[in-house]
Amino acid sequence: MKPFFNNKTNRSGLILIAAMMLFNVWNVIMNTPMVPEQHWAQKIFYIHVPSAWVGFLSYFVVMVAGILFFMKKDDYWDLVGLAAAEIGTVFMSLVLITGPIWATPIWGKPWIWEPRLTTTLILFLIYIGYFMMRTFGGHIERVKRYAAAVGIIAFVDVPIIFVSVKFWTPEIQSHPQVEMAQQPSEILIPFLLSLSIFTLLYVLMLKYRIHVIRINSRVRANV
Amino acid sequence: MFFTLLKKELFVEFRSREVTLSMLVFGLSIILTFALSSNVSPTIIANYAPGMFWLMVLFVAVIGVHRTFSYEKEFDAFSMLISAPIDRGFIFLTKWISGFIFLTIMEGLILIPFFKFLMIDFPSQPWIAIGTTLLINCAIMAIASLVSGIAMRARLSEVLLPILLFPLVSPVLIAATKISGSIMVGDPYSFWKIWLLIILTVIVIFGLVGYTLFDFITEE
Repeated sequence: MKPFFNNKTNRSGLILIAAMMLFNVWNVIMNTPMVPEQHWAQKIFYIHVPSAWVGFLSYFVVMVAGILFFMKKDDYWDLVGLAAAEIGTVFMSLVLITGPIWATPIWGKPWIWEPRLTTTLILFLIYIGYFMMRTFGGHIERVKRYAAAVGIIAFVDVPIIFVSVKFWTPEIQSHPQVEMAQQPSEILIPFLLSLSIFTLLYVLMLKYRIHVIRINSRVRANV
Repeated sequence: MFFTLLKKELFVEFRSREVTLSMLVFGLSIILTFALSSNVSPTIIANYAPGMFWLMVLFVAVIGVHRTFSYEKEFDAFSMLISAPIDRGFIFLTKWISGFIFLTIMEGLILIPFFKFLMIDFPSQPWIAIGTTLLINCAIMAIASLVSGIAMRARLSEVLLPILLFPLVSPVLIAATKISGSIMVGDPYSFWKIWLLIILTVIVIFGLVGYTLFDFITEE
């Protein structure tokens, strides 16, 4: 199997996305306006919200891959599920880091059980269990099925977790991104651009990770 | 076939009393620990009592489901069970219902020590408290039976079960605490209606997902 970046399309994708990400960071720092009450802290939202979007998208992919794995009995969907779970957890970690960084100056404390962050934390913990299952679960063929099932029930549980946490602490304000659609265009356009670049980055990362996991499993099968 | 499987679950348990007895003794130990570690006024304890109660039920449920599934591993009974020409979703349903029965029996036996040791008053609307408790038990056991079915034959199953179960069951724990807290202080139904809806949603969704997935999880 050829190295991933020997492929011209993959190499061009990497260069293009790296350039777009550099432009995105420059654009967020230099061109987006300062929000009066939040100052520099608000700029973290151009990273925080796209990370959350990619994290949830990735966990959605884990669920879809789990369903397809059960239906088609094809190991490829197990690879997709594992790759998406790994990438989703990386982005969820970013959300759990950037959220408290934003909350500290704005709310005065890093953690106040805000519904979205709490849902992210619970999902993150479920996926820690998912990786423990993958690592210490034993019989490799059974673990594939168990992991697919955990991926499905984890995503099914998301709306229930979100609603329960939301009603649990109704006094806690929601993130400002709820009103992101009503923001002026000088905030909205860079935000949507950042969201698109993060999504493209996710697609490339997913393809790369599937490639690496596939090589690893072939090597293990030949040992 | 469903009733045969359910009869098997209940028969095995009523002969050995292994699951209910271990749940009961563990539950009593937790109450004792709570009572000894919270030497504060009864008013403060009354505020925390619903949370303590459902936390105890959750710990006890872990012991229960782990035991009901792990005795299937002895003599490889589970392999024989799944090789039988039956709908495997029924295995999940019978584990769920039997787990619900064992958990409810345990709660029935442990309620008086819980209220007496922690020196709190019984709820003023006992039938509502019993009805909601049954529904909450049903929701907890739906998730616990499904997760236990997944973790049972994995290595380190006793570690993986609580690690996977606790975050998944968190909405039920929140709703259960809110419902019981409201009933204890005599709040009207409209105050805790939303939490009851969450419990019912969990029962329906996890019941369906468990029934559907169990067929795939238990494939050989």
